[in-house]
Amino acid sequence: MAKTRENFFGIRHLTVKYHSGNSIIHAVNDVSLELKAGETLGLVGETGAGKTTIAKSILRILPESSVESVEGDIWFEGRQILDMNDKELQALRGKSISMIFQDPMTALNPVKTVVSQIAEGYRQHQNCSKAEANKRAIEMLEMVGIGADRAEEYPHQFSGGMKQRVVIALALACSPQLLLADEPTTALDVTIQAQVLDLIRDLRNKLGTAMILITHDLGVVAEVCDKVAVIYAGRIIEQGTLQDIYDHPTHPYTCGLFGALPDLDKDVERLSPIEGLPPDPSVIREHCDFMERCPYACGKCKKFNNHMIEMTPGHMVRCWKANEEE
Amino acid sequence: MAALVETQNLKKYFKSGAGMVHAVDDITFKIEEGETVGLVGESGCGKSTLGRTLIHLNESTDGKILFRGQDVTKLNKKEMVKFRKDVQMIFQDPYSSLDPRQTVSDIIMEPLKLDGSFSQEEIKNRTRELMDTVGIEKRLRMSYPHELDGGRRQRVGIARALALNPKFIVCDEPVSALDVSIQAQILNLLMDLQRDLGLTYLFITHDMSVVKHISNQICVMYLGQMVEVCDRKELFAYPLHPYTKALLSAIPTTDIHNRRERIILKGEIKSPINPGPGCRFASRCPYADEGCRQGVKSQEVRPGHVVVCNKAKEINQL
Repeated sequence: MAKTRENFFGIRHLTVKYHSGNSIIHAVNDVSLELKAGETLGLVGETGAGKTTIAKSILRILPESSVESVEGDIWFEGRQILDMNDKELQALRGKSISMIFQDPMTALNPVKTVVSQIAEGYRQHQNCSKAEANKRAIEMLEMVGIGADRAEEYPHQFSGGMKQRVVIALALACSPQLLLADEPTTALDVTIQAQVLDLIRDLRNKLGTAMILITHDLGVVAEVCDKVAVIYAGRIIEQGTLQDIYDHPTHPYTCGLFGALPDLDKDVERLSPIEGLPPDPSVIREHCDFMERCPYACGKCKKFNNHMIEMTPGHMVRCWKANEEE
Repeated sequence: MAALVETQNLKKYFKSGAGMVHAVDDITFKIEEGETVGLVGESGCGKSTLGRTLIHLNESTDGKILFRGQDVTKLNKKEMVKFRKDVQMIFQDPYSSLDPRQTVSDIIMEPLKLDGSFSQEEIKNRTRELMDTVGIEKRLRMSYPHELDGGRRQRVGIARALALNPKFIVCDEPVSALDVSIQAQILNLLMDLQRDLGLTYLFITHDMSVVKHISNQICVMYLGQMVEVCDRKELFAYPLHPYTKALLSAIPTTDIHNRRERIILKGEIKSPINPGPGCRFASRCPYADEGCRQGVKSQEVRPGHVVVCNKAKEINQL
């Protein structure tokens, strides 16, 4: 494992459990990921797959009251995030790693002007005067396309897309090396989404920020990511480069996700949904989590452990049949 | 054949501190029986208000709504009761549109009970039948909404809407809150129901790929007005309004080798409060000139393809 720690950012064997009533919810099961500086990874999955839990584990902002245990390694520039004390975490959050939350309506403080919110975060981490922080905040706002004349306005005076831009400015003010974007465009209209994605792409190219983009939208991933990890029931079931996943989707679940999308360029009479529902997260199993919904499942699937299989270098699939088909 | 639902110069304004919000402004369109009309546009453009006004959940400000040729705004009490049975609505959020203290069967039964013309036995049978139609397992009869996932909740909402054999259903973003794999299940269900029961839908959504999949006709709305109306294939093959073009180009595609050319809109969206004359899209339109700000007219530029843009012909070289 020593080798991997040399990398910029990585997660190894992350397992997160919540408690809920009398049962244990297995939200994240043995997830491992790696990211090089400047890379963008798309983390794709449906509601409840564990995407947001992974992001929150990285920043150590999981709700303490409901977490049962967090195991594994998360390292960032050679340091273990899970071993950090409060002071170290404080220095990390917002400065080296920052997060864009899904809902721009609730991520901002309604009683503070947007410029003061950005300046406040900046002053936390940089030893500077109020005036300098304000200057930086206005610069950031201008970078995301909000004029200085609107800096003294309050969040409610902005539209949804503008608010999300304020949130992005806030997240990028300290030039973090890693940005966690949790469904950053889901609450936005398509034309505004296109603007925000353009902005994210531009800023990433300009500042060299690495990013983990969490989304359920395969189209959004295709627009901005270099690498993709598909997550199902708390486990990564397929990962690889954008080309691996989009040109050669291999896991039946990944294929199912692509099949369930209405296609703009083709005319399909009926959609092919993935029948059934995700498994009960309070039960941990040895065999494949997708078995019950899988059109290719057979008796053997129950006997095989669901290990990852490497299809081509870096393209990993958690399905023992992956090599047998095609 | 007369259209099942038709509006003529329909308007719905809301009062606000700053003036009148023109949520639905002078809309004339029709929906043929057995068809699905897709209504697309961005949040706040008045899609939902139009849907709700159409079935008289909102009192209209001005204009006519015709259901089977009869003016809905002039119905008496008895006729209104009949109308209420014929039109139903499926809501966006399956989490807030079901009573958390009612069981699944209570929810589906309620319209049947309120109707008053069914016996206990009939209500029970019909409820069972409805659950079967929308694909909810019998064992969930006594479950509460919070025990169900989003897809099943939406099925309950659909069963409730179907209870009294409606003719026309307004589907207001019925799949927007659902995951893709579940979304496909619900879209298939809605299409099956339409075929089997001869339903007519107004399908409101902001998702262009969903609307393309389910609609016959598509209406594109912008700030309270229709900007383009035509057959779905026509719209995707020949979008003529600059707004529709931008909307289509903005859809993220999963085809990583053939990217669309993006039209990124600049400028701010005009306020719907006292918008005044002229094209409402002019503030963001790359082709707008002084004439557009003065007034805009609707024209049929290709057979059955209506676009509200002075420059449609010029821009598209028609």
